[in-house]
Amino acid sequence: MLSVLIKKELFVELRNKEVVFSMLAFGTSVLLIFSFSFNGNPKTMHEIAPGLFWTLVLLSSSLGLHRMFGLEKDLDAFSSIIASPIDRSIIFLSKWISGFIFLSLTELLIVIPFFLFLGLSKPMSILPGLGIVMIGNLGIIAVGVLISGLGMRARMSAVLLPVLLFPLLTPLLISCVKSTAGWFHDNPFEFYQIWVMIMITYVVIFGLAGFTLFDQITEE
Amino acid sequence: MSRLLPDKISKILFIVTAILMSVNLYVIFAVTPMVPEQHWAQKIFYVHVPIAWTGFLSYFIVMLAGIIFLVKKDSKWDRVGLAAAELGTMFVVLVLITGPIWATPIWGKPWIWEPRLTTTLILFLTYVGYFMLRKFGGHAERVARLAAVLGILAFINVPLIFYSVKLWTPQFQLHPQVEMNQQPDGILFPFLFSMFIFTLLYILMMRIRIQILNFKHKLLTEENV
Repeated sequence: MLSVLIKKELFVELRNKEVVFSMLAFGTSVLLIFSFSFNGNPKTMHEIAPGLFWTLVLLSSSLGLHRMFGLEKDLDAFSSIIASPIDRSIIFLSKWISGFIFLSLTELLIVIPFFLFLGLSKPMSILPGLGIVMIGNLGIIAVGVLISGLGMRARMSAVLLPVLLFPLLTPLLISCVKSTAGWFHDNPFEFYQIWVMIMITYVVIFGLAGFTLFDQITEE
Repeated sequence: MSRLLPDKISKILFIVTAILMSVNLYVIFAVTPMVPEQHWAQKIFYVHVPIAWTGFLSYFIVMLAGIIFLVKKDSKWDRVGLAAAELGTMFVVLVLITGPIWATPIWGKPWIWEPRLTTTLILFLTYVGYFMLRKFGGHAERVARLAAVLGILAFINVPLIFYSVKLWTPQFQLHPQVEMNQQPDGILFPFLFSMFIFTLLYILMMRIRIQILNFKHKLLTEENV
């Protein structure tokens, strides 16, 4: 059932291209603003780049997360999904995995202009950075799906999402920035492994919380 | 007043708290010794720490009430959660005001990214969202469920926020450490006394607030019938 729901999410996105395109367009615009606003020397840019990257990801993902339930809300299709004999925790997992795919895809497309526009040099090894970004994405989407589900039927849901999401993501954001900075400045893994551990703890806690509590959020 | 304090326990609690709080204020200002490096600024800690304790206790109760509400589906626990969230936020705002009042003469600036203060600020912002959700969430029954979930999420995030901020700013570990057993009796006992009185005050305020929310619920239910 999980694979069917993920396929459904991917199929809907393939047809509408709403989530990835809105995140990509918004992310590129923010990147442009960053490039003009922080037109500093290369050393300064190198220092602040991890923070800028995760700010970009956070802002873009809040837009994408809003759209993840948007279509189902507009057509009231969500009522049909939850009326079907599917465990709601599986719905959470499908949203989590598909959201993770959408965010990773957006980052993949935006990372090259990010390095180009801000004049950044490539770190020596790509693999640790990839791992950090993947764990960060899992954390953002786990909480994001929960909060997006919370605010789905609320008035002012577009405002409610970032207001609720950003404070809850604070520990993850700090850890993401710190571990990305460690990798970006070519430090050994031991130097920033504590931050990666916090990120993993966060993903596990909020992944389990989502899996357990999503049923309560979606109850009609 | 008799409607807000309907039972004997609340009335006794009100009288005891009023008397003991007056004694507490007198002890803080007139009896406790001056700490040489901090002078009057130190006195705020007899208030700042107890209100921080009651604020976090209140948010813990929001989480507990949320769990019980989701299990039992009894709206009484939603009202307990709401009362605790309101009082917790009020106490946390006071923490965010009294903290910088102490910090300005001691650290030379009102705000630094100290883990306890930062955790308090982030919790406060989460609860701003909590009240927005309560206001704009839609149907009352659904809002109660959503608020319960959010109360749980907000509290399980506390250790993660505290630990990550502590590691993020190791240079800002300037907050007075809780080694109260090393304090002289002249400071320790008034401090513990103040903690006790503020907890009593919190219990009294919770009883009154829950009472008001119960009245409101009863009125709305009668109106709908």
